Amino acid sequence: MMNLCKKQFDVFRATVFATYKEWAAYRSHMAVSVLVGPVFFIVQVFIWSAIYSTRDTVTGLTLTQMLTYYGIVNVINYLTYDSSDVDLQWHIRTGGFITFMLRPISYFYYAICQKIGHRLLALWVEFVPVYILFLFVFKINLVPANLFWTLISVFLSFILVFLTNFCIGITGFWLTKTEGLRRAFQVLRDVCAGSLLPLTLFPEFIQKILFYMPFQFIAYVPIRVFMGSYELAGISMSIPKIVALQAVYVVVMFLVYKLLWHFGTKRFTGVGA
Amino acid sequence: MIDAVKLHLQGIKSALAVRMAYRADFFISILIMLVVEAFVPLVTYLVYKNGASLPGWNMYEALLVQGVFLLSKGISFPFFFGMVWNTIYRVQEGTFDLLLIKPRSVLQMIIVTGFDSEDLGKLLGGIVLFSVSLAHVPFPSLDLWLKFAVLFFVSLVVMFGFGLILSGLGIVWIGNYRVYEIFTSISNFGMYPANIFSKAVVTFITAVIPVAMLGYIPASQLLGRPAEGTLIAVISSIIFLIVSLLFWKAMFRRYNSAGG
Repeated sequence: MMNLCKKQFDVFRATVFATYKEWAAYRSHMAVSVLVGPVFFIVQVFIWSAIYSTRDTVTGLTLTQMLTYYGIVNVINYLTYDSSDVDLQWHIRTGGFITFMLRPISYFYYAICQKIGHRLLALWVEFVPVYILFLFVFKINLVPANLFWTLISVFLSFILVFLTNFCIGITGFWLTKTEGLRRAFQVLRDVCAGSLLPLTLFPEFIQKILFYMPFQFIAYVPIRVFMGSYELAGISMSIPKIVALQAVYVVVMFLVYKLLWHFGTKRFTGVGA
Repeated sequence: MIDAVKLHLQGIKSALAVRMAYRADFFISILIMLVVEAFVPLVTYLVYKNGASLPGWNMYEALLVQGVFLLSKGISFPFFFGMVWNTIYRVQEGTFDLLLIKPRSVLQMIIVTGFDSEDLGKLLGGIVLFSVSLAHVPFPSLDLWLKFAVLFFVSLVVMFGFGLILSGLGIVWIGNYRVYEIFTSISNFGMYPANIFSKAVVTFITAVIPVAMLGYIPASQLLGRPAEGTLIAVISSIIFLIVSLLFWKAMFRRYNSAGG
């Protein structure tokens, strides 16, 4: 058991380090976020300031809360971003996936280690500079209401984003080229997750549908946990309860991944397309 | 000129033939492009449906600004903005060199071989949004249509300028597709009525980097209430194009054929 743990840790360390080093060569690409994030935010500041000039609240949120929402979306996204779907589909399409089947480690484990390495780099190249900018230049309150629950919720979101993207990547076993499907999913996910706008802006009946979908746990829930209160479709929940529900969805998504992976790998021929 | 158009048509034909190998994915991608671009109008729609508004603009007027922007993007992205990804891809792969030995200008070849069929979804979305918004505002007179046509053409000039700058960056900033995000973030300013921005920002988006020309200025003209500083924006758009061209040429001279 100890040997197995040590072996897994060695794989973890080597993959994380290699990915970090590999992407560090392209750190200037990542640093684009330091320009793009704040510019997007400035536009939001103007839009929402204009909208709020005639009223105090929109769907129960004040201007400060709205801007805080967008500020948190921005920084959390740097921590949870994932591209495992692109990588997996690329390996399947080119036939390169066969080399992973020959390796003594699972592709899933390898992919999540890669994500950790990638996000570790993003932590100081994207997250920290943008966080400081938002905090000190835009004066956005980016201090979590409860650090403990926020960390757990962001961590669960990190896993959930990976799992959902990985499942989309698995569709590559059935479909030859899945760029379209991947983009479709990304749009659906970003809109339904609250990454692009607060879900409370949607009409009541859509909010009810969104409440039962897993997407809100990707962005909306961590943001609301960060802000210290949760409410959607008229349903209010305590922070520990909504985080527990988020954990349940992570488990469900893990089972979905297992099922898809089981059937998907059986279809793999190694020929590519 | 006719020869250049023929070459461009051949490029479109070839790109479509290649893309048709994955037909289902192609049509899904077009649809997705349309849906992706519908996001900003969706936010505008939701804001107005929640009883809020952009001061001085009703929902369809605000959507018209976004419709014009999308129309401009819908024409430029498939037909010439592909020069951006094409440059980045070719420089990274090392196939940019192949264009240097062709008996045509490199810039022309980059545009011709960069036709992006999926982006036709943007054009489709632009036509729909523009038509729907226009149907809900007083129909413009012929005079307004003519002025709009001129300004819309200038908006394509600005798009071309952006294409040149991003393509130029793609020559020296190897493999960085995130330059698109730089464009998206800056061009966001052109999707909303300028009166929501501060004076300094308005000056910047009309006289320095004329992104207001991408949506707000042509749409205002069509609505019969010309934007302040329209003439300055037209002049700065032409200057922007010249500077962009010089920038592209400067970057092109720095190409070292090393790949990435």
